[in-house]
Amino acid sequence: MDGLRYIGHCETSSAVMPRNDTGRVNRRTFIKTAGAGGVVGLAGCVSFGGDDSESTTTTESGGNGGDGDDGATTTTESAPEQIVFGQPGALTGAWDFLQPGVSQAADAAVKHVNDAGGPLGAELVLKRRDTGVDPTEARTVTTQLVENDDAAAIIGLFSSEINPLWDYLQELQTPVVTNWPGSTFLDTHGGDKGTPGDVSDDEWVWRSIVGDTVHTSGNAAYAMEQGFENIGVINGNTEGERSYAEGFLAAFENQGGSVANRVEIPLGESSYQSALSRLFQEDFDAFLVSLPQESAITLLSDWSDGGYGGTPILSDTLAQQAVIDQVGSDLHGAWAAVPGRSGPSYDFFESTYQNHGDADINGWTPPTWDAVIVTALAIERAGEASPEAIQQNLGPVSREGGTTVTSFEEGKEALANGEEINYQGAATPTNFTAHGNVFGSVSIMTAQDGAFSQTAEVSAETVREYVPEGEY
Amino acid sequence: MGLTQNIVFGLVTGSYIAIAAIGFTLIYGIVNMINFAYGEYITIGAFIGILAAGALPVPLPVAVLVAMIGGGVVSLALAKGFFTPINDTGPIPMLLTSIGLGLALRNVIRLLAGRNARYFETSTTTFRFEGLPALSVGPVDLLGNVFVTSEHLIVIGCAVVVFVVLHALLTRTDVGIAMRAMGDDESLARVRGINTQRIRDSVWVLAGVLAGLAGVLIAIQTNASASTGYAHILQILAAAILGGAGSPYGAIAGSYVIGIVLALSTAFLPSGMTELSSAVAFVILVGVLLVKPSGIAGQEVREA
Repeated sequence: MDGLRYIGHCETSSAVMPRNDTGRVNRRTFIKTAGAGGVVGLAGCVSFGGDDSESTTTTESGGNGGDGDDGATTTTESAPEQIVFGQPGALTGAWDFLQPGVSQAADAAVKHVNDAGGPLGAELVLKRRDTGVDPTEARTVTTQLVENDDAAAIIGLFSSEINPLWDYLQELQTPVVTNWPGSTFLDTHGGDKGTPGDVSDDEWVWRSIVGDTVHTSGNAAYAMEQGFENIGVINGNTEGERSYAEGFLAAFENQGGSVANRVEIPLGESSYQSALSRLFQEDFDAFLVSLPQESAITLLSDWSDGGYGGTPILSDTLAQQAVIDQVGSDLHGAWAAVPGRSGPSYDFFESTYQNHGDADINGWTPPTWDAVIVTALAIERAGEASPEAIQQNLGPVSREGGTTVTSFEEGKEALANGEEINYQGAATPTNFTAHGNVFGSVSIMTAQDGAFSQTAEVSAETVREYVPEGEY
Repeated sequence: MGLTQNIVFGLVTGSYIAIAAIGFTLIYGIVNMINFAYGEYITIGAFIGILAAGALPVPLPVAVLVAMIGGGVVSLALAKGFFTPINDTGPIPMLLTSIGLGLALRNVIRLLAGRNARYFETSTTTFRFEGLPALSVGPVDLLGNVFVTSEHLIVIGCAVVVFVVLHALLTRTDVGIAMRAMGDDESLARVRGINTQRIRDSVWVLAGVLAGLAGVLIAIQTNASASTGYAHILQILAAAILGGAGSPYGAIAGSYVIGIVLALSTAFLPSGMTELSSAVAFVILVGVLLVKPSGIAGQEVREA
């Protein structure tokens, strides 16, 4: 294993070399030279993995790369036959009802990338493993994906997995481009800090979905607009639920709102009547519910049975038909703020996605598509599929400047023409901030006539008023 | 809302737990094993009820009966397949077997039933008792307005029926008296001519029937999923131990103590600590056992 790790360092060092370093030594040459020299100690550097490059030729691309600060390492490299992305998934656990759409989006994106010729002409392969949204299992799965499956990047991981594994993920030095997490922790953690060429200050997590700070701010703005200035809050005691509630409260109180009462509860209980009776000891007109779906259905059914009153403000995961079906008509008027579907390439994503299966689209589906596409484009720009090269190129392919592209096919073509590119995604414009975040509008989904339907949109500009640039 | 309302909530929670804890503690007392797979028995009962109500379809009361009968049959079959062959190996191998069986069953259920939770189609009526005079002690209102729902009444009613039938079974029938005799001293019971294997089988069936009933009641209140029973096994275990492991009457008392403590701690713990309600129930369990190791009933039937 040490030998494999050493090979990794060999690849890494080549990736950070300046582009105009025409004297760069490719790995095979290096190994041959080492072998000819009889340096037995370097034998451990030989990898028998299927992703060894045959040769590497560095070429200049258009744009102003080469200064070592924009991560421009566009190379033409005789590519491996396969490039693997690892997808830790919620195949079981509290969020498994969201996984079908996420899996279908990832599979559709991989097919789209391969149909367009694949990154560097290689076949993109997605390896999916179940974490059950359990941090311990997530660590094992992530290690397996990187060490056993040779994943060049990780597509996925939840807030409740990322936050406790933060130090481990930094040591792993494999980019995690995830469609799941809303955690406010990631507002200022992750990304390349605006210096793609310098990985020393990087944090190896990027998210292709707007964070809780964005849609909770949109949700809070909408609540204030509806005249709900005094609310109750009931949330689960896990990282994701707590994070959502705190993000909402920060924005809500910042806009002049006040919290009458807050109750935190464990998940999976058979009854939440005691918690509700405690919450409703105070007077308010609306109350925020931040829970996973099954616990939320139990709580909202209890709320309906108890006739407590008030308007539920739901966390983003609860805009599901099952919630209305089980709770019933009392939910009429409740709303959830979900990440908007405002990306420029949403229509292209939707048509491709629907040709790939019949899973419903949820709020985490388009970001999954974006995560795969932007990571594949980073490989295409880098000219190699090493984790560090991907890390260095995620920012440059997504940020403003360069030719706007809305698919891998367009991006591959533009890069081949020596152009810089700016990928415009399906969920958001996917302009990664220095902290590896994206920004977008927020859709308000309201329960009415037995279904959730979009009744309002809070624009990205409006939300930005409550989310300062440097803090997200 | 006041103390009375929260005691009502506690009684409802305690009733769920009590029905299941009786089955759990009977297995402990008579078969001499801690059955960690019992949570999965509850899950199986919930899914049998869902299948009966949804696929056949039959009215909910009939679905409950189907779940109870199905639970009994499944429990006996699992016992014959996994526990009866190792009856003589002692409690530890049987405990380990039950842990493994529970894990396997949970995953099989997940594979067969899929990832989505299933729900019973029910409607609930709420009965309100308002206008009661305030009777405050400090910040706590001892009375206040009270409501109960038809679901609450069904759960509590089922529990009461189970208690009455169980008492009659244990005190008025030959099988029940033989169960108690085995619980006290299996060797002596055998010497006196009791067919101990038949009694063990009866206990497995009874425990499965109770698990089926508990499973359907929990699924009506929440849902049926692969983790329905597993999510409650610690509370059931705590209630059984708190009451005095092996004693069904103690398990009933322990269940209501746990249920009421859960409700009251959620209602009255300082703000920011409400999530610790489950922990409070277990702190009380530890406290009771320190003072009275044999539990509320004052007798530990087995030494396992």
